[in-house]
Amino acid sequence: MAKYILKRVLQVIPLLFIVSFIVFSLIHLAPYDAIDSITTPNMSKETVEILRQRYGLDQPFLVQYFMWLKQILTGDFGHSLVSQQSIAQELAIRIPNTIKLILPAYITALIIAIVLGLVAGANKGKFLDKFIDGICSVGISMPTFWFAMLMIYFFGYKLNALPIIGMHTVGNEDSFLDFLQHFIMPYIVLTVAFFPDLTRYVRSSTMLQLSEDYVMVQQSFGASKKEIFFRHVSKNVLLPIVTQIGLALPMLVTGAIITESIFGWPGIGPYLMSATKALDFPIIMAVMLLSATLVILGNLLSDILYTIVDPRISQGDK
Amino acid sequence: MEKKWLFGMTAVIAMTLTACGSNKTEAPKEKKDKDTFTYAISGDPTSLNPINVGDRWGLTTTNMIFSPLVRIEGDGTQKMELAKEVTPSEDGKSVTVKLKDDIKWSDGEKLTADDVIFTYEQKVKKENGNADSLWIDDKPIAFEKVDDTTVKFNFPSVSAAAMNNIATETYIIPEHVYKDEPDFSVNELKAKPVGTGPYKLTNYKRGEYLQFEANDTYYGGKVNVPKVNLRIISNADTTKVALQKGEVDASYILPNNIEDIKKSDVATYEYSENRVGYMGVNNNSDKLKDVKVRQAIFYALNKEELNKAGYLDAKYYDNVYSILPPNNPYATDKVEKYDTDVEKSKKLLKEAGAEDLKINLAFSSDDPVQTIQATLMQQQLQKAGITLELTGGDSAAYFAEMQKPETKKYDLFMGGYIMGNDPDLYSSLFKTGGSSNYFHYSSDKTDKLFNAGVVELDDAKRKDVYADLQKQIADDAVFYPIVDSKKVLAVNKAVKDVEKAGLIPIYTFEDLSKLSIK
Repeated sequence: MAKYILKRVLQVIPLLFIVSFIVFSLIHLAPYDAIDSITTPNMSKETVEILRQRYGLDQPFLVQYFMWLKQILTGDFGHSLVSQQSIAQELAIRIPNTIKLILPAYITALIIAIVLGLVAGANKGKFLDKFIDGICSVGISMPTFWFAMLMIYFFGYKLNALPIIGMHTVGNEDSFLDFLQHFIMPYIVLTVAFFPDLTRYVRSSTMLQLSEDYVMVQQSFGASKKEIFFRHVSKNVLLPIVTQIGLALPMLVTGAIITESIFGWPGIGPYLMSATKALDFPIIMAVMLLSATLVILGNLLSDILYTIVDPRISQGDK
Repeated sequence: MEKKWLFGMTAVIAMTLTACGSNKTEAPKEKKDKDTFTYAISGDPTSLNPINVGDRWGLTTTNMIFSPLVRIEGDGTQKMELAKEVTPSEDGKSVTVKLKDDIKWSDGEKLTADDVIFTYEQKVKKENGNADSLWIDDKPIAFEKVDDTTVKFNFPSVSAAAMNNIATETYIIPEHVYKDEPDFSVNELKAKPVGTGPYKLTNYKRGEYLQFEANDTYYGGKVNVPKVNLRIISNADTTKVALQKGEVDASYILPNNIEDIKKSDVATYEYSENRVGYMGVNNNSDKLKDVKVRQAIFYALNKEELNKAGYLDAKYYDNVYSILPPNNPYATDKVEKYDTDVEKSKKLLKEAGAEDLKINLAFSSDDPVQTIQATLMQQQLQKAGITLELTGGDSAAYFAEMQKPETKKYDLFMGGYIMGNDPDLYSSLFKTGGSSNYFHYSSDKTDKLFNAGVVELDDAKRKDVYADLQKQIADDAVFYPIVDSKKVLAVNKAVKDVEKAGLIPIYTFEDLSKLSIK
């Protein structure tokens, strides 16, 4: 098993290089120049040229790429072209804010999904199943921003029960109650955004398990439906969820871009959105690279977790 | 079962609709916090460094903490801030500025001529990024200390625009606070800001807010509202609801939101930012080489119709006919206005032998006004037999394309500029080889007029020069000015004296200390 894990880790390294190269090339193909974001119409050509040299934008493509890669490998994501703030520092402030919001929402969604999914799977074709499936359909087809606006309208404006912007009231950073009030709406929005997919996943894997031979064997031995379900099926259903958790890793960074922007939550969302508008390409590259890396690492993690839970997987690889 | 489901959904939808429909009877929500003014801004300030700041929110913040020597008002008049008097020399080669007595920095130190010189010496360095206006004919302006409260600015050659350039956007910083600053080209200086403006910055949380407190030593008098928060909200819809419920007290809004906003306890103020919205002609385009073709296009358009569609009510726009916004003291409307005349347009096209003209127009597809106007232009030009192909896209992208010297990709494009008061500032747009000459316009006559205007010291004669200039550009039909659109500021009705605080381009409030809350 250790050999399998090592092999998978080694495979990831060239993949990360390829991803970094693609990210860098894509930004360079864009039909504008990064210098556009820092210059104003009042600047002379000479000033523009000085700025271009300072940011190394006059160097050839490959030189720029290796300069950038070298920086990243030393933990330096560079500086925003627009604000000149260190991107690593900004991310260090914003990622924890994003995680504070996403992690509770994801865990809640997971619990809801496991309960609803098992119930639906166990009652295949009956009213309860169709009802849960219906809820999931509505949840999946409903745009997050629309639901967020509805929440803001009802709970924020009509009932005036909750604040709608930010993570804290100005000057009230230490109050947990204040945080909680700001937290409730985006948390509900994200939970609703996350749980339908997971529920469907649990539901379908429940149904798959129920159609397995061992269920029939158990039935022929006279085990009750309840016994089969709780002793065997539910355990086997929960295994694949481990994979889902690994795959959810990149969401910790980019899972709430829209929701955060709507609620003015000071996470990655508004940061990336405004960087995109301002053509601030070092930020866009850093976030893209980070989330691409997390996708790869998430896959790696779920593979490894799976081999730990079910060692047969790595044997198949020999 | 399925019917039940349908019924449930219908009930939810019906509830939502009733709730939305009932907002006409909204009760006004009273402002709770009477000593804080909360202003919604759409993003972090780009720069908080007074030496190189140039973005809207950076300037808004800088204007609260620091003060300039002189302010140039929208109508071109001077308003003394730190300066007591400003005396230009007879030969037009220098200006002497005398400072007001007893102005104190927010840390209690006295403002002196050394601070002024220190500020300009940093600003004039090209590597700090904001020096262009302090250079004339590629030579820097020099600064000389006459006594403790008097500074003389010496120009390398005669310049009528220099006064404006010295005052505009230059915020004086204290030497004793910033003298050890290693680099003035960064966007945030190391020292904690100390200024002479009405407010002090007390706390800045990136992505969340900036918090300000009244500066007791402000030279402009007592500050009415003790605390100001600039709250960062990037989503316009959220901002709108936050305004309606009183979580923020003021924000810019779009004209199409005004009706909604007015139902709650929010007042709106419309004012001009002296911005000119335009349709530009790419003079590189082979199809548009003949002046008759360009005129034909202009005659086919209907400006009033375009603006009515884009801005809904005449309250929110003025039609513009010149390169200068109507409020500019040098603006004239004695130019060719190209009043709509489809027959004339057809005739001109026939004369030029361009009857099956097919051209394209670049516009910003996420700008609702430009999108409407572009579609309308297509219809208007159709009447004269011109086919207009619409190529909507990202404005940053097509302006980068227009910046290329040889570009022929777009024939026409839409844009807008806020350039400031002195007409010489517009030379970067219309002079041959100007740094923002997206039109690729080049005319000897126009260049000569720009050169004559910048050295003319007699104001009456200067006005004549720029009147000729505006007429020349209109006759050349290279630039179709459309609109001076109004900025709409929505403010909670509990906030008073908005007019007294002064609504000005970019900075929003000229002097926030005049605002009060009832």
